[in-house]
Amino acid sequence: MRLLRENQQGLTGVYAVGAMTSEAEREKFERHLRRCASCASEVRGLRDTATMLALAAAEQPPPELRVRTLAQVRRTRQLPPQVEPRRGSGAKRWAPRLRLAVPVTVAAASLLAILVLAVAQVRVQRSLHQAQAQNAAIAAVLATPGARIVTGPTSAGGTTTAVVAVARHEVVVTTTGLPGLPAGRVYEMWLIGRTGARPIGLARPMPSGHTVPILAAGLARGDRLGITVEPAGGTRHPTTTPIVVLPLT
Amino acid sequence: MPPERLLGLVARGDEGAFEQIYDRLAGAAYGLIRRVVRDPAQAEEVTQEVMLEVWRTASRFDPDRGSAATWVLTIAHRRAIDRVRSTTASVAREQRVVEVEVPADYVADVVEANLERERVRRCLDGLTPLQRESITLAYYGGYSYPQVAGLLGVALGTIKTRIRDGLIRLRDCLGVTA
Repeated sequence: MRLLRENQQGLTGVYAVGAMTSEAEREKFERHLRRCASCASEVRGLRDTATMLALAAAEQPPPELRVRTLAQVRRTRQLPPQVEPRRGSGAKRWAPRLRLAVPVTVAAASLLAILVLAVAQVRVQRSLHQAQAQNAAIAAVLATPGARIVTGPTSAGGTTTAVVAVARHEVVVTTTGLPGLPAGRVYEMWLIGRTGARPIGLARPMPSGHTVPILAAGLARGDRLGITVEPAGGTRHPTTTPIVVLPLT
Repeated sequence: MPPERLLGLVARGDEGAFEQIYDRLAGAAYGLIRRVVRDPAQAEEVTQEVMLEVWRTASRFDPDRGSAATWVLTIAHRRAIDRVRSTTASVAREQRVVEVEVPADYVADVVEANLERERVRRCLDGLTPLQRESITLAYYGGYSYPQVAGLLGVALGTIKTRIRDGLIRLRDCLGVTA
Protein backbone atom coordinates (compact mmCIF):
# COMPACT_ATOMS: atom_id res chain seq x y z
CA MET A 1 0.00 0.00 0.00
CA ARG A 2 2.75 2.36 0.98
CA LEU A 3 4.69 1.39 -2.11
CA LEU A 4 1.65 1.97 -4.25
CA ARG A 5 1.20 5.40 -2.79
CA GLU A 6 4.81 6.32 -3.39
CA ASN A 7 4.47 5.11 -6.94
CA GLN A 8 1.50 7.36 -7.48
CA GLN A 9 3.20 10.29 -5.81
CA GLY A 10 6.18 9.94 -8.12
CA LEU A 11 3.81 10.53 -11.03
CA THR A 12 3.03 14.16 -10.18
CA GLY A 13 5.59 15.45 -12.68
CA VAL A 14 4.61 13.00 -15.40
CA TYR A 15 0.97 13.98 -14.96
CA ALA A 16 1.78 17.69 -15.03
CA VAL A 17 3.56 17.47 -18.38
CA GLY A 18 0.78 15.28 -19.80
CA ALA A 19 3.02 12.24 -20.30
CA MET A 20 0.78 9.51 -18.91
CA THR A 21 0.58 6.46 -21.13
CA SER A 22 -3.19 6.29 -21.30
CA GLU A 23 -6.39 7.92 -20.20
CA ALA A 24 -6.95 5.02 -17.80
CA GLU A 25 -3.65 5.72 -16.08
CA ARG A 26 -4.48 9.39 -15.90
CA GLU A 27 -7.89 8.75 -14.39
CA LYS A 28 -6.40 6.43 -11.82
CA PHE A 29 -3.96 9.12 -10.82
CA GLU A 30 -6.73 11.71 -10.64
CA ARG A 31 -8.61 9.45 -8.24
CA HIS A 32 -5.46 9.31 -6.14
CA LEU A 33 -5.24 13.11 -6.21
CA ARG A 34 -8.67 13.40 -4.69
CA ARG A 35 -7.43 11.50 -1.64
CA CYS A 36 -3.97 13.03 -1.40
CA ALA A 37 -4.08 16.73 -0.64
CA SER A 38 -0.33 17.20 -0.67
CA CYS A 39 -0.08 15.53 -4.10
CA ALA A 40 -2.90 17.72 -5.41
CA SER A 41 -1.17 20.84 -4.23
CA GLU A 42 2.14 19.77 -5.76
CA VAL A 43 0.39 18.92 -9.02
CA ARG A 44 -1.19 22.34 -9.13
CA GLY A 45 2.17 24.08 -8.96
CA LEU A 46 3.75 21.72 -11.47
CA ARG A 47 0.90 22.09 -13.94
CA ASP A 48 1.16 25.86 -13.72
CA THR A 49 4.88 25.44 -14.38
CA ALA A 50 4.12 23.38 -17.49
CA THR A 51 1.76 26.17 -18.51
CA MET A 52 4.71 28.57 -18.42
CA LEU A 53 6.44 26.26 -20.89
CA ALA A 54 3.44 26.53 -23.19
CA LEU A 55 3.24 30.29 -22.85
CA ALA A 56 6.91 30.45 -23.74
CA ALA A 57 6.19 28.51 -26.93
CA ALA A 58 3.47 30.91 -28.05
CA GLU A 59 3.33 31.72 -31.73
CA GLN A 60 1.03 34.01 -33.63
CA PRO A 61 -1.63 31.77 -35.17
CA PRO A 62 -2.82 32.66 -38.69
CA PRO A 63 -5.49 35.39 -38.52
CA GLU A 64 -7.97 33.25 -40.51
CA LEU A 65 -7.96 30.79 -37.65
CA ARG A 66 -9.47 33.43 -35.39
CA VAL A 67 -12.17 34.26 -37.93
CA ARG A 68 -13.02 30.59 -38.47
CA THR A 69 -13.07 29.79 -34.77
CA LEU A 70 -15.29 32.72 -33.86
CA ALA A 71 -17.68 31.86 -36.66
CA GLN A 72 -17.89 28.29 -35.43
CA VAL A 73 -18.41 29.42 -31.85
CA ARG A 74 -21.40 31.45 -32.92
CA ARG A 75 -23.18 28.32 -34.14
CA THR A 76 -22.11 25.93 -31.40
CA ARG A 77 -24.20 25.13 -28.38
CA GLN A 78 -22.43 25.00 -25.00
CA LEU A 79 -22.52 22.25 -22.42
CA PRO A 80 -24.48 22.92 -19.25
CA PRO A 81 -22.52 22.75 -15.98
CA GLN A 82 -22.10 19.37 -14.41
CA VAL A 83 -24.51 19.06 -11.53
CA GLU A 84 -23.69 15.93 -9.64
CA PRO A 85 -25.68 14.84 -6.63
CA ARG A 86 -23.41 13.35 -3.98
CA ARG A 87 -25.08 10.03 -3.34
CA GLY A 88 -28.43 8.29 -3.00
CA SER A 89 -30.39 6.80 -5.83
CA GLY A 90 -33.40 8.98 -5.15
CA ALA A 91 -31.40 12.11 -5.67
CA LYS A 92 -29.91 10.74 -8.85
CA ARG A 93 -33.32 10.05 -10.28
CA TRP A 94 -34.38 13.63 -9.84
CA ALA A 95 -31.14 15.28 -10.75
CA PRO A 96 -31.81 15.81 -14.46
CA ARG A 97 -34.84 17.88 -13.61
CA LEU A 98 -32.66 20.24 -11.65
CA ARG A 99 -30.13 20.91 -14.34
CA LEU A 100 -29.69 24.63 -14.76
CA ALA A 101 -30.07 26.61 -17.93
CA VAL A 102 -27.37 29.03 -16.77
CA PRO A 103 -24.14 27.91 -15.22
CA VAL A 104 -23.59 28.34 -11.57
CA THR A 105 -20.84 30.57 -10.27
CA VAL A 106 -18.07 28.06 -10.15
CA ALA A 107 -17.42 28.46 -6.46
CA ALA A 108 -20.99 27.49 -5.73
CA ALA A 109 -20.83 24.24 -7.66
CA SER A 110 -20.01 21.97 -4.75
CA LEU A 111 -22.64 23.58 -2.59
CA LEU A 112 -25.07 23.17 -5.41
CA ALA A 113 -24.53 19.43 -5.23
CA ILE A 114 -25.72 19.50 -1.63
CA LEU A 115 -28.65 21.72 -2.42
CA VAL A 116 -29.73 19.69 -5.39
CA LEU A 117 -29.65 16.64 -3.20
CA ALA A 118 -31.54 18.52 -0.54
CA VAL A 119 -34.20 19.71 -2.90
CA ALA A 120 -34.47 16.26 -4.42
CA GLN A 121 -35.15 14.85 -1.00
CA VAL A 122 -37.91 17.25 -0.08
CA ARG A 123 -39.27 16.87 -3.53
CA VAL A 124 -41.16 13.74 -2.53
CA GLN A 125 -42.93 15.53 0.28
CA ARG A 126 -44.24 18.35 -1.83
CA SER A 127 -46.18 18.98 -4.97
CA LEU A 128 -44.16 18.90 -8.14
CA HIS A 129 -45.06 22.47 -8.92
CA GLN A 130 -43.91 23.81 -5.57
CA ALA A 131 -40.67 21.89 -5.68
CA GLN A 132 -39.85 23.07 -9.16
CA ALA A 133 -40.57 26.68 -8.32
CA GLN A 134 -38.30 26.36 -5.29
CA ASN A 135 -35.57 24.73 -7.38
CA ALA A 136 -35.71 27.48 -9.95
CA ALA A 137 -35.50 30.16 -7.29
CA ILE A 138 -32.54 28.53 -5.59
CA ALA A 139 -30.85 27.88 -8.90
CA ALA A 140 -31.25 31.54 -9.79
CA VAL A 141 -29.45 32.58 -6.62
CA LEU A 142 -26.62 30.14 -7.23
CA ALA A 143 -26.28 31.27 -10.82
CA THR A 144 -26.00 34.95 -9.96
CA PRO A 145 -22.64 36.32 -11.07
CA GLY A 146 -20.63 37.22 -8.02
CA ALA A 147 -22.62 35.00 -5.67
CA ARG A 148 -20.52 34.20 -2.63
CA ILE A 149 -20.46 31.29 -0.21
CA VAL A 150 -20.24 32.09 3.47
CA THR A 151 -19.84 29.32 6.02
CA GLY A 152 -19.32 29.19 9.73
CA PRO A 153 -19.52 26.73 12.63
CA THR A 154 -22.32 26.97 15.17
CA SER A 155 -21.73 26.88 18.91
CA ALA A 156 -23.97 23.81 19.09
CA GLY A 157 -21.85 21.91 16.57
CA GLY A 158 -22.30 21.55 12.82
CA THR A 159 -21.85 24.13 10.12
CA THR A 160 -24.07 26.63 8.45
CA THR A 161 -23.59 27.60 4.82
CA ALA A 162 -25.11 30.51 2.94
CA VAL A 163 -24.95 31.44 -0.72
CA VAL A 164 -25.29 35.20 -0.89
CA ALA A 165 -26.41 36.92 -4.07
CA VAL A 166 -26.16 40.58 -3.14
CA ALA A 167 -27.24 41.66 -6.61
CA ARG A 168 -30.56 39.84 -6.18
CA HIS A 169 -30.90 40.67 -2.47
CA GLU A 170 -31.31 36.98 -1.85
CA VAL A 171 -29.60 34.32 0.18
CA VAL A 172 -29.91 30.53 0.35
CA VAL A 173 -29.13 28.90 3.68
CA THR A 174 -28.47 25.31 4.60
CA THR A 175 -26.78 23.62 7.54
CA THR A 176 -25.14 20.33 8.22
CA GLY A 177 -24.42 18.41 11.40
CA LEU A 178 -26.71 20.38 13.72
CA PRO A 179 -27.39 18.20 16.79
CA GLY A 180 -30.91 16.85 17.25
CA LEU A 181 -33.27 18.79 19.50
CA PRO A 182 -35.72 17.55 22.14
CA ALA A 183 -39.34 17.26 21.06
CA GLY A 184 -41.07 20.60 20.89
CA ARG A 185 -37.93 22.57 19.93
CA VAL A 186 -36.78 23.69 16.49
CA TYR A 187 -33.93 25.63 14.92
CA GLU A 188 -35.19 28.91 13.53
CA MET A 189 -33.24 31.07 11.07
CA TRP A 190 -33.16 34.87 11.04
CA LEU A 191 -31.88 37.71 8.97
CA ILE A 192 -30.53 40.21 11.46
CA GLY A 193 -30.30 43.77 10.22
CA ARG A 194 -30.34 47.29 11.57
CA THR A 195 -34.05 47.14 12.28
CA GLY A 196 -33.92 43.84 14.15
CA ALA A 197 -34.28 40.14 13.40
CA ARG A 198 -36.73 38.82 10.86
CA PRO A 199 -37.61 35.10 10.72
CA ILE A 200 -36.81 33.39 7.41
CA GLY A 201 -37.73 29.82 8.19
CA LEU A 202 -37.29 26.72 10.30
CA ALA A 203 -34.41 24.32 9.71
CA ARG A 204 -35.99 21.08 8.64
CA PRO A 205 -33.58 18.14 8.87
CA MET A 206 -33.14 15.65 6.07
CA PRO A 207 -31.76 12.12 6.23
CA SER A 208 -28.48 13.35 4.68
CA GLY A 209 -27.73 15.42 7.79
CA HIS A 210 -28.33 18.67 5.94
CA THR A 211 -31.31 20.89 6.51
CA VAL A 212 -33.67 21.84 3.72
CA PRO A 213 -32.26 24.93 2.01
CA ILE A 214 -34.12 28.10 2.81
CA LEU A 215 -34.37 30.95 0.35
CA ALA A 216 -34.71 34.41 1.85
CA ALA A 217 -35.42 37.56 -0.14
CA GLY A 218 -34.97 41.19 0.84
CA LEU A 219 -31.35 40.83 1.91
CA ALA A 220 -29.90 44.23 2.82
CA ARG A 221 -26.31 45.35 3.15
CA GLY A 222 -25.01 44.62 6.63
CA ASP A 223 -27.48 41.77 7.22
CA ARG A 224 -26.29 38.82 9.25
CA LEU A 225 -27.64 35.31 9.47
CA GLY A 226 -28.65 34.00 12.87
CA ILE A 227 -29.93 30.64 14.12
CA THR A 228 -31.68 30.16 17.46
CA VAL A 229 -33.46 27.30 19.22
CA GLU A 230 -37.17 28.08 19.52
CA PRO A 231 -40.43 26.37 20.49
CA ALA A 232 -41.97 24.15 17.79
CA GLY A 233 -43.59 26.21 15.06
CA GLY A 234 -41.11 29.04 15.52
CA THR A 235 -41.53 32.50 16.98
CA ARG A 236 -41.70 36.01 15.56
CA HIS A 237 -38.73 37.25 17.54
CA PRO A 238 -35.73 35.29 18.79
CA THR A 239 -36.08 34.22 22.42
CA THR A 240 -32.72 32.52 22.94
CA THR A 241 -29.07 33.33 22.26
CA PRO A 242 -28.13 32.53 18.66
CA ILE A 243 -25.90 29.48 18.14
CA VAL A 244 -24.37 31.29 15.19
CA VAL A 245 -24.29 34.84 13.80
CA LEU A 246 -22.79 35.02 10.35
CA PRO A 247 -22.09 38.29 8.51
CA LEU A 248 -23.48 37.90 4.99
CA THR A 249 -22.56 41.04 3.07
CA MET B 1 -10.29 41.10 -16.21
CA PRO B 2 -8.50 37.91 -15.08
CA PRO B 3 -8.99 35.00 -17.49
CA GLU B 4 -10.66 32.96 -14.74
CA ARG B 5 -13.50 35.47 -14.64
CA LEU B 6 -13.58 35.67 -18.41
CA LEU B 7 -14.15 31.91 -18.54
CA GLY B 8 -17.08 32.35 -16.18
CA LEU B 9 -18.60 34.76 -18.68
CA VAL B 10 -17.79 32.43 -21.57
CA ALA B 11 -19.71 29.69 -19.75
CA ARG B 12 -22.74 31.97 -19.89
CA GLY B 13 -22.44 32.40 -23.61
CA ASP B 14 -20.51 35.68 -23.73
CA GLU B 15 -18.83 35.75 -27.16
CA GLY B 16 -16.90 38.93 -26.35
CA ALA B 17 -15.32 37.24 -23.34
CA PHE B 18 -14.44 34.28 -25.56
CA GLU B 19 -12.67 36.59 -28.01
CA GLN B 20 -10.55 37.90 -25.16
CA ILE B 21 -9.69 34.36 -24.05
CA TYR B 22 -8.81 33.55 -27.63
CA ASP B 23 -6.56 36.58 -27.96
CA ARG B 24 -4.75 35.75 -24.75
CA LEU B 25 -4.34 32.01 -25.05
CA ALA B 26 -4.78 30.84 -28.64
CA GLY B 27 -1.16 31.79 -29.41
CA ALA B 28 0.19 29.62 -26.63
CA ALA B 29 -2.18 26.80 -27.59
CA TYR B 30 -1.16 27.03 -31.24
CA GLY B 31 2.55 27.21 -30.41
CA LEU B 32 2.34 24.21 -28.10
CA ILE B 33 0.23 22.18 -30.53
CA ARG B 34 2.56 22.99 -33.40
CA ARG B 35 5.53 21.77 -31.41
CA VAL B 36 3.76 18.47 -30.77
CA VAL B 37 2.12 17.79 -34.14
CA ARG B 38 4.70 19.69 -36.20
CA ASP B 39 2.56 20.11 -39.30
CA PRO B 40 1.22 23.72 -39.33
CA ALA B 41 -2.01 22.78 -41.14
CA GLN B 42 -2.80 20.08 -38.60
CA ALA B 43 -1.80 22.40 -35.79
CA GLU B 44 -4.36 24.91 -37.02
CA GLU B 45 -7.06 22.27 -37.12
CA VAL B 46 -6.27 21.07 -33.62
CA THR B 47 -6.10 24.64 -32.28
CA GLN B 48 -9.55 25.32 -33.68
CA GLU B 49 -10.88 22.13 -32.06
CA VAL B 50 -9.31 23.15 -28.76
CA MET B 51 -10.69 26.67 -28.75
CA LEU B 52 -14.11 25.33 -29.66
CA GLU B 53 -13.86 22.88 -26.77
CA VAL B 54 -13.01 25.80 -24.47
CA TRP B 55 -16.19 27.50 -25.64
CA ARG B 56 -18.32 24.37 -25.27
CA THR B 57 -17.03 23.23 -21.90
CA ALA B 58 -16.27 26.53 -20.15
CA SER B 59 -18.86 25.64 -17.50
CA ARG B 60 -16.65 22.71 -16.45
CA PHE B 61 -13.67 24.93 -15.62
CA ASP B 62 -12.91 24.71 -11.89
CA PRO B 63 -10.64 27.50 -10.63
CA ASP B 64 -9.85 25.45 -7.54
CA ARG B 65 -7.92 23.02 -9.67
CA GLY B 66 -5.73 25.49 -11.52
CA SER B 67 -5.58 28.69 -13.53
CA ALA B 68 -7.56 29.36 -16.69
CA ALA B 69 -4.36 29.23 -18.74
CA THR B 70 -3.54 25.82 -17.29
CA TRP B 71 -7.02 24.56 -18.08
CA VAL B 72 -6.93 25.76 -21.71
CA LEU B 73 -3.37 24.59 -22.33
CA THR B 74 -4.02 21.20 -20.76
CA ILE B 75 -6.82 20.72 -23.26
CA ALA B 76 -4.47 21.88 -26.03
CA HIS B 77 -1.76 19.45 -24.98
CA ARG B 78 -4.17 16.53 -24.74
CA ARG B 79 -5.76 17.19 -28.11
CA ALA B 80 -2.34 17.52 -29.72
CA ILE B 81 -1.32 14.18 -28.27
CA ASP B 82 -4.60 12.57 -29.33
CA ARG B 83 -3.81 13.72 -32.84
CA VAL B 84 -0.27 12.36 -33.00
CA ARG B 85 -1.07 9.12 -31.23
CA SER B 86 -4.03 8.35 -33.47
CA THR B 87 -2.74 9.20 -36.92
CA THR B 88 -0.09 7.87 -39.20
CA ALA B 89 1.82 10.97 -38.30
CA SER B 90 3.25 8.88 -35.53
CA VAL B 91 5.31 6.97 -38.08
CA ALA B 92 6.96 10.10 -39.36
CA ARG B 93 7.43 11.34 -35.85
CA GLU B 94 9.81 8.54 -35.04
CA GLN B 95 12.37 10.21 -37.25
CA ARG B 96 11.79 13.63 -35.86
CA VAL B 97 12.86 12.79 -32.36
CA VAL B 98 16.25 14.37 -32.82
CA GLU B 99 14.67 17.63 -33.86
CA VAL B 100 12.69 17.96 -30.70
CA GLU B 101 15.69 19.28 -28.84
CA VAL B 102 14.11 22.63 -28.00
CA PRO B 103 14.14 25.38 -26.87
CA ALA B 104 16.63 27.27 -29.01
CA ASP B 105 14.47 27.71 -32.08
CA TYR B 106 11.10 28.72 -30.74
CA VAL B 107 12.06 32.30 -30.21
CA ALA B 108 12.31 32.80 -33.95
CA ASP B 109 8.63 32.79 -34.92
CA VAL B 110 7.54 35.08 -32.20
CA VAL B 111 5.95 38.33 -33.13
CA GLU B 112 6.36 40.24 -29.91
CA ALA B 113 9.42 40.18 -27.74
CA ASN B 114 8.68 38.32 -24.59
CA LEU B 115 10.61 38.64 -21.37
CA GLU B 116 8.67 35.75 -19.92
CA ARG B 117 9.98 33.53 -22.66
CA GLU B 118 13.53 34.57 -21.93
CA ARG B 119 13.00 33.80 -18.29
CA VAL B 120 11.63 30.34 -19.06
CA ARG B 121 14.59 29.65 -21.27
CA ARG B 122 17.05 30.71 -18.62
CA CYS B 123 15.33 28.48 -16.09
CA LEU B 124 15.34 25.55 -18.53
CA ASP B 125 19.06 26.12 -18.97
CA GLY B 126 19.46 25.73 -15.23
CA LEU B 127 18.26 22.11 -15.30
CA THR B 128 20.49 19.09 -15.69
CA PRO B 129 20.58 17.88 -19.31
CA LEU B 130 18.56 14.79 -18.42
CA GLN B 131 15.91 16.80 -16.60
CA ARG B 132 15.66 19.24 -19.47
CA GLU B 133 15.48 16.59 -22.16
CA SER B 134 12.90 14.53 -20.27
CA ILE B 135 10.64 17.53 -19.78
CA THR B 136 10.95 18.91 -23.29
CA LEU B 137 10.45 15.51 -24.91
CA ALA B 138 7.41 14.85 -22.76
CA TYR B 139 5.79 18.26 -22.95
CA TYR B 140 6.86 19.79 -26.26
CA GLY B 141 7.42 16.45 -27.91
CA GLY B 142 4.18 14.87 -26.69
CA TYR B 143 5.83 11.59 -25.74
CA SER B 144 4.61 9.40 -22.90
CA TYR B 145 7.09 8.78 -20.13
CA PRO B 146 7.89 5.19 -21.21
CA GLN B 147 8.59 6.59 -24.70
CA VAL B 148 10.82 9.25 -23.19
CA ALA B 149 12.62 6.55 -21.20
CA GLY B 150 13.10 4.57 -24.40
CA LEU B 151 14.35 7.57 -26.37
CA LEU B 152 16.86 8.50 -23.73
CA GLY B 153 17.82 4.93 -22.84
CA VAL B 154 17.06 5.48 -19.16
CA ALA B 155 15.04 3.42 -16.67
CA LEU B 156 11.36 4.26 -16.26
CA GLY B 157 11.70 5.18 -12.59
CA THR B 158 14.57 7.52 -13.38
CA ILE B 159 12.50 9.37 -15.95
CA LYS B 160 9.62 9.86 -13.53
CA THR B 161 12.00 11.31 -10.97
CA ARG B 162 13.86 13.51 -13.44
CA ILE B 163 10.64 14.99 -14.79
CA ARG B 164 9.40 15.72 -11.29
CA ASP B 165 12.71 17.10 -9.99
CA GLY B 166 13.17 19.19 -13.10
CA LEU B 167 9.67 20.65 -12.87
CA ILE B 168 10.12 21.48 -9.20
CA ARG B 169 13.35 23.26 -10.03
CA LEU B 170 11.65 25.11 -12.88
CA ARG B 171 8.75 26.02 -10.65
CA ASP B 172 11.07 27.50 -8.04
CA CYS B 173 13.16 29.27 -10.66
CA LEU B 174 10.03 30.80 -12.25
CA GLY B 175 8.48 31.63 -8.91
CA VAL B 176 5.24 29.81 -9.66
CA THR B 177 3.04 29.75 -6.58
CA ALA B 178 0.51 26.99 -6.24
